[in-house]
Amino acid sequence: MTESKIYFKFDGKKYAGNQGDTIAAALLRNNVRLIGRSFKYHRPRGIYTCGIEEPNALVQIINEHNEPNVRATVKKIYEGMIVKSQNRWPSLKTDLGSINNILSPIFSAGFYYKTFMGPKGFWKNVYEPLIRRTAGLGKPPKEFKSKSIHQHHNVDIIIVGGGLSGLLAARKFAGTNYDVLMVEREDALGGVLKNADKIKSINDQPKDEWLEKTERLIRNSSNIKILKNTLVTTYNFSDHLIALEDKNVGKPQDNEKPELVLHKIRTKHTILANGHIERFITFRNNDLPGVMLAASFEKYLNRYGVVPDESPVIFTNNSSTYSLLKSLTDLGHKPKAYVDIRDQKNIEKETIDLLEKFNIPFYPKSEIEGCEGQKEVKKVSIRTKKNQISKIKTSMLCVSGGFNPDIHLFTQSKGLLKWDKEHLTFKPDRIFQKTITLGSVSGNFSYEKLLVEVENKLSEFEGLNELEVKFELNGPGKFQIKELWETKHEKKSLWSKSFIDLQNDVTTKDLRQAVNEGFNRIEHLKRFTTNSMGTDQGKISSINALGIVSKILKKDISEVGTTTYRPPYSPVNFSAIAGRSTYEFYDPERKTPLHSWHVKQNAVFENVGQWKRPWYFKKSEDETMHQAVQREAEQVRKAAGILDGSTLGKIEIKGKDALTFVNLMYTNSFTKMKPKTGRYALMLGEDGMVKDDGIVCKINDQHFIVTTTTGNAASVLAHMEEYAQTEWPNLNVYMNSITEQFATFNLSGPKSRVIMSRVFNDIDFSNDQFPFMSFNNFKYLDTEIRILRASFTGELGYEIYVPPSHALKLWQKIFIYSRDFDLVPYGTETMHLLRAEKGYIIVGQDTDGTVTPLDLNLNWMIGKKKKDFIGKRSLTRTDIVRETRKQLVGLVPIDKTLGIEEGQHVIEQKDLSLPIKDPVDMLGHVTSSYFSPNLNHSVAMALIRGGKRKIGSRLFVSTENLNTIAVEVVEPNFIDPKNERMML
Amino acid sequence: MFTIRCPYCGERDQSEFSNGGEAHVARPKDPEQISDREWSEYVFIRANPKGIYYERWVHTHGCKKWFNAVRNTSTDEILKVYKMGEAPPPLKGFKNTIKTPSGEPDVGSGNFSVKKP
Ligand SMILES: [Zn+2]
Repeated sequence: MTESKIYFKFDGKKYAGNQGDTIAAALLRNNVRLIGRSFKYHRPRGIYTCGIEEPNALVQIINEHNEPNVRATVKKIYEGMIVKSQNRWPSLKTDLGSINNILSPIFSAGFYYKTFMGPKGFWKNVYEPLIRRTAGLGKPPKEFKSKSIHQHHNVDIIIVGGGLSGLLAARKFAGTNYDVLMVEREDALGGVLKNADKIKSINDQPKDEWLEKTERLIRNSSNIKILKNTLVTTYNFSDHLIALEDKNVGKPQDNEKPELVLHKIRTKHTILANGHIERFITFRNNDLPGVMLAASFEKYLNRYGVVPDESPVIFTNNSSTYSLLKSLTDLGHKPKAYVDIRDQKNIEKETIDLLEKFNIPFYPKSEIEGCEGQKEVKKVSIRTKKNQISKIKTSMLCVSGGFNPDIHLFTQSKGLLKWDKEHLTFKPDRIFQKTITLGSVSGNFSYEKLLVEVENKLSEFEGLNELEVKFELNGPGKFQIKELWETKHEKKSLWSKSFIDLQNDVTTKDLRQAVNEGFNRIEHLKRFTTNSMGTDQGKISSINALGIVSKILKKDISEVGTTTYRPPYSPVNFSAIAGRSTYEFYDPERKTPLHSWHVKQNAVFENVGQWKRPWYFKKSEDETMHQAVQREAEQVRKAAGILDGSTLGKIEIKGKDALTFVNLMYTNSFTKMKPKTGRYALMLGEDGMVKDDGIVCKINDQHFIVTTTTGNAASVLAHMEEYAQTEWPNLNVYMNSITEQFATFNLSGPKSRVIMSRVFNDIDFSNDQFPFMSFNNFKYLDTEIRILRASFTGELGYEIYVPPSHALKLWQKIFIYSRDFDLVPYGTETMHLLRAEKGYIIVGQDTDGTVTPLDLNLNWMIGKKKKDFIGKRSLTRTDIVRETRKQLVGLVPIDKTLGIEEGQHVIEQKDLSLPIKDPVDMLGHVTSSYFSPNLNHSVAMALIRGGKRKIGSRLFVSTENLNTIAVEVVEPNFIDPKNERMML
Repeated sequence: MFTIRCPYCGERDQSEFSNGGEAHVARPKDPEQISDREWSEYVFIRANPKGIYYERWVHTHGCKKWFNAVRNTSTDEILKVYKMGEAPPPLKGFKNTIKTPSGEPDVGSGNFSVKKP
């Protein structure tokens, strides 16, 4: 087979790899072993594993928006890929940060908590910049527009893992009535069949043939869907799983297609067949490039056809390394030595036969004490059974410390584990959800028992296929292991370290120190040392840490317990989580029917909830916001102005009991109110605090239309629904949101009556016929409009409610008919200014959920004779009637040229110069402040303690540069206090 | 994230619903006749048990209907869903999985992943 080469760059140099290679496989093919520098000590690091569990070989993909912390052992290469090593400065080979390795005493357990305590200012100026420069991994990615999407599944069965166990399970379900989703994280099914040479044949066929046939059969079953390159990251409550699919494996990113798919899976049963993870053994300098897990080495041989080293030393405490030995010798390579801590009599015959046949140096009952080398392994040091040190030159050391069932997902599902004394590992014990574990994840390391296990555990399902499978194995069938977590050091130097967490640079010394300092609970110890807190979550090492700690504490390992396994199993890109909900799709934009007109008139828009509202209209290119607002506000009071109020929430309330219901919802009394009139109304929460305000229009006792503030439209409707459904279901009442069924124009100013009379020349707008707060419906062209006489500016005003289809034409018509009257369109900023001149509140600006109607001087709005309304009882609570509550007042600066800033404190003292000896008593804060063009000075509203009694007194408002502005406290009604203008 | 069986629409994702706190907290019939303390208890005080709990839910992004549910707050199992106005099912009818002194169910609460010896 001829394979075309794929070229990519690593740290600027071009390398060739094969189709299907991971970055790690391709680099090993090119004999590159130094991949990165470590997190704290900047020690050289290489490729430790061949999969998702990799702690060391993390790289940055420059041509994928700088994507950091990518596992070189997972990411597949493609033509033109640009890869960089991480955490090195200035270069990978000469890294100045490795001085940290020599400074390591200050980087010991808990160093973040202890070392950086003082002196004052040192954290900000010295420690933090230093740590940011030298500690850490990749650099943040560049901003990009992700095309990632979310996909939902509803299935009967999910099979997690397409290895041998998963394939057997899928084979049982093939062609049945169960809807099955099979998820495999690699790009091919097969698992151990592809990774190692442990199984010779299945049903007397070569294993590859069986695999191909089985996959075809499963693929052709219409009830089974297979997702490859998809990693299950999360197993939530309620049989809900999340999986991340990489759509671009071995391909450059396509900017038009999703690069990632986040699968959200609901299932009835979960079959976990996600296998196991090999763990390491701790010895001196066990982090050097050239140290690799044995099964990973085997996977490079079998899956990628890469020989990481032709003559490694093999170090093991179990029987699994037989197949590595066999794979290597089958290829004609001869390991330098085979070091096994087990007694010769306990080592399986097959292994010993192989060692003898190829004359491989054999060290039973021996262990690796450590290894030496500057940038990679040069020598290993063996402690033999006679307790002598023997050194062997080698450039690679393969380690197997045993296997852990990959229990992350099982524990995420809240299942309980137990300690397996035979295999020296935690395995699933009790399930919490509808979970089935199959194969090595269940702690079953025997292929012979696998068939029985599959049959037994799937017996609850009806109508499954019979399995006819017969394995022929290479080597020992039974897994056998002897406990070993770490080996004893001989050599002590600052350079020599024994790591328990490679990614976070945690040593076994740190574990001992933490226990000595009293951190003897595993969860505390984890946080103090940061053990297993890296992006790999200590997949190859966390059980070793438990083993070591249990020995230090002289406790049973199951008594020490594990730390909590939290989702995700492996980091999930934010772009996948966000999916399409970014940029313009983050939140819907709502535009009024007049939006196009506003755009043409150079409106500057403001976001109010999801709405785009004109903030102000720029009359000329160089007009500032301040100039525009002053111009608009002056013109409204002199002539007339018109505001697009279409965003106001509108709720229609109907039903036999509508009057009773509206009386309960708002503070005001609506019983005696005449039909075809409106009333400014307040809505409270049950705690008596102002929730919303608006105008309640009564059509008759069975039919009301209320308005809400723009931002509260949905929550007010929900509040009404809640009470209607849960508290007073006996009331006959129905609510409906009609916000978008009407555009609303607020016409305001002394000329508004004459403009209205011109536009609607058949309607009588005289005070007698159309008094303040009355409304009526009128025929307009082929539709109907409603006109309400109301005002939020203090001027004579009308609100016109018109169906959106007729809105733009009517709006334009108004401008045509008011040519002689100097009508100005105005935006929300001017609306706020005008209402502040009148002291009208904005809910959410002058109130914050702690303000009652009494605090706002709105006692007149409370229907005192009403027996009940929401919040009424709270208004007589002792705390609510307290005179020292914060109350709304007006503020006017004594020096009329000065402006007051919103949010500043209102205080009694004038002098704020430093140093301030006693705490400054803060009376409250400024809620609204504007420069009034109509009064030619600033006006402000503030909530201050005991404010009502302070009217007439002089107080001070702070400024951002520690000055104060003297103000007079006044009633919050600055223009036309008798309200004559709107009654005009 | 769990699913909830809306009594009107059927089983849906939790994200379609909003929680309304403790259920069967009746609004006092005559608020003016009760003390500040009694009123405050109605407004502010809610039970927050670890275990079986009556609570209100609303199908916000669906039919917008309110209903009641019995939920085990330590395991998030929804044990029963019933319509507003229906009588609460007696708690005795539900198997309380809380066994340990600290109120942890022995499987499912997630604070420990290894069975305590
Ligand atoms: Zn529903």
